[in-house]
Amino acid sequence: MDHSTEKALERVARLSGLSLSEGEKEVLFSDLSHIIPYMEQITKLDTEDRTSGSSARPAEAGKTEDPEGGEMLLREDEEEDSGLSSAILSSAPEVSGNMFCVPKAVE
Amino acid sequence: MTSKLPDISNSETILSMNAVETARAIREQKVTSEEVVRRIFENIDERESIIHAYVSFWKEEALEKARECDKKVREYLERIGGQTGETSDVGMPENTGLPPLLGVPVAVKDNLLFSGKRTACGSKMLENYVPPYTATCVEKLEEAGAIIIGKTNMDEFGMGVSTENSYFGATSHPLDPDCVPGGSSGGSAAAVAAGEALAALGTDTGGSIRQPAAFCGLVGLRPTYGSVSRHGLVAFSSSMDTAGPITRGSVDAAVLFNIVKGRDPKDQTSASSPDIDISAMESYSVRGKRIAIPKQLSGVSDDASADGKKGPLFSHDVLNAVQTARAILEENGAVVEEIDMPVLEYAVPIYYILSSAEASSNLSRYDGIRYGYRDPEAKDLSELYTRTRSSGFGLEVKRRILLGNYVLSSEHFEDIYRKAEKARNLVKTAFDDAFSKYDLLLSPASPMTAPKKGENTDPLAAYCSDLCTVPSSLAGIPSISFPFGKSSEGLPIGLQLMGRRSGEQEILGAARFFEKLGKIAEEAES
Repeated sequence: MDHSTEKALERVARLSGLSLSEGEKEVLFSDLSHIIPYMEQITKLDTEDRTSGSSARPAEAGKTEDPEGGEMLLREDEEEDSGLSSAILSSAPEVSGNMFCVPKAVE
Repeated sequence: MTSKLPDISNSETILSMNAVETARAIREQKVTSEEVVRRIFENIDERESIIHAYVSFWKEEALEKARECDKKVREYLERIGGQTGETSDVGMPENTGLPPLLGVPVAVKDNLLFSGKRTACGSKMLENYVPPYTATCVEKLEEAGAIIIGKTNMDEFGMGVSTENSYFGATSHPLDPDCVPGGSSGGSAAAVAAGEALAALGTDTGGSIRQPAAFCGLVGLRPTYGSVSRHGLVAFSSSMDTAGPITRGSVDAAVLFNIVKGRDPKDQTSASSPDIDISAMESYSVRGKRIAIPKQLSGVSDDASADGKKGPLFSHDVLNAVQTARAILEENGAVVEEIDMPVLEYAVPIYYILSSAEASSNLSRYDGIRYGYRDPEAKDLSELYTRTRSSGFGLEVKRRILLGNYVLSSEHFEDIYRKAEKARNLVKTAFDDAFSKYDLLLSPASPMTAPKKGENTDPLAAYCSDLCTVPSSLAGIPSISFPFGKSSEGLPIGLQLMGRRSGEQEILGAARFFEKLGKIAEEAES
């Protein structure tokens, strides 16, 4: 792997919130040195007249009441009570009252 | 060393029936749900130590539910004052007033939420996560009378092809425990194949229903994207994640699909789709059908290898199976042609760029704050994120996060990520063109049969083995894998049929056609 790709991956790891051990770096960077060039083959494709909407839903259909094959339906942005707040809080590693707790963020 | 498994063929009649037949037998009081559930748990007790299909199951609760189901049948019969007896040949209840899968034990992949039961997704990150709500597709199965008996093992967050990438250990293939069952829904496939469930739900992003179903000799349906709600399906790649059935036969797959599909206000990408007509499946004929075999999915030419494209090696047995299927189709009046779909040579990189990008974004929610694992040693907020994520995720997940964030980084966003989005559009157009001329597309479900455990050491080779399944994932079209004979090693071979958007009726009908031929051949031999 060239030096610039390795530097880029180290930065990506940091931004991904991952602290990799030396052993992990060795394995992952070695794998990615094969994987990334393989993925880059797609630069050879001619996509000149293509749009970039990444969806498995077809773009041609219009909005309908029941969007079979159509666009995503929008709904009213109405407040609803799921009734689950205490269950959700009980899943948290640490809570205080109705709040999630985190370690100290500022000195 | 090969571990010895009890012979599944020696099981009682209960376990030789599929889910729909069992439901019918329960309604007609030929067997009780309690007997069925007990028998399934006997199998679990016998085989789980070797197969490890489940990460959790709940026997007593399942038996209690089974007794409630039996009570419902008795009460119904008392109310109408006689026998049900009015079920159709394909086992669907006709005006019986009883739900279609009443009393049938079903397994669910461990990335589908089931309220009050741990949902760990094969990850240390969610090792102790107990969701407060149930996935819509699981809820629908319960409403249809199914008894959810356990959660099945999977590659961590659905990232893998062998169910070896699970924090909870690998799952074994029911026919040869030295082999993998496929993945990522390997636990669901192994459970059904081993008689540890009568049917299962899996999820499929790039082939995770179809490939394990193929490896285990089962039917695996990846429905049209959006036809089954993703509400309660733990997100991996939101534009491709799809839940669907893994079953012993195509009728079971159709019945389960009819149950779980439908528009759900909790998933804005969901849509309604036509009901599968089971009797039309039974009478499906291939006569006059036009069926294409995409060259790119049925072998890699020497030229392609020389060009630096790393393709999977197709096994001869698998390629022979495609040719046998072709001959059968032609003998029965279908027109079968090979077609060239050059863009599919790029399907694997397009898929891995887009799915990894979506995964890196989706998995950023695991931060140790609201739910899931939290590293106990973290001293400040920044350390909390990195320590939690670094020790909570396994190696394959980290690899995908790195790849995903690499292609999303400002230096590569346009030339790799955007390019892949546009290329996906080319894939969709290629399928649209194909379906303007053909009714169905045929290919292997996987280039090979189940490999031995430990053989998947090269991640790029594993990615490339998804060649046959990722194209329909990118296009959002339905596809089904179905068993078609065995390899020289005696392992099941799976073929795949792809159909138009919302074309489940067509692919299920064709799968049923092959299934019936197989049954006829088996009967002729016996």
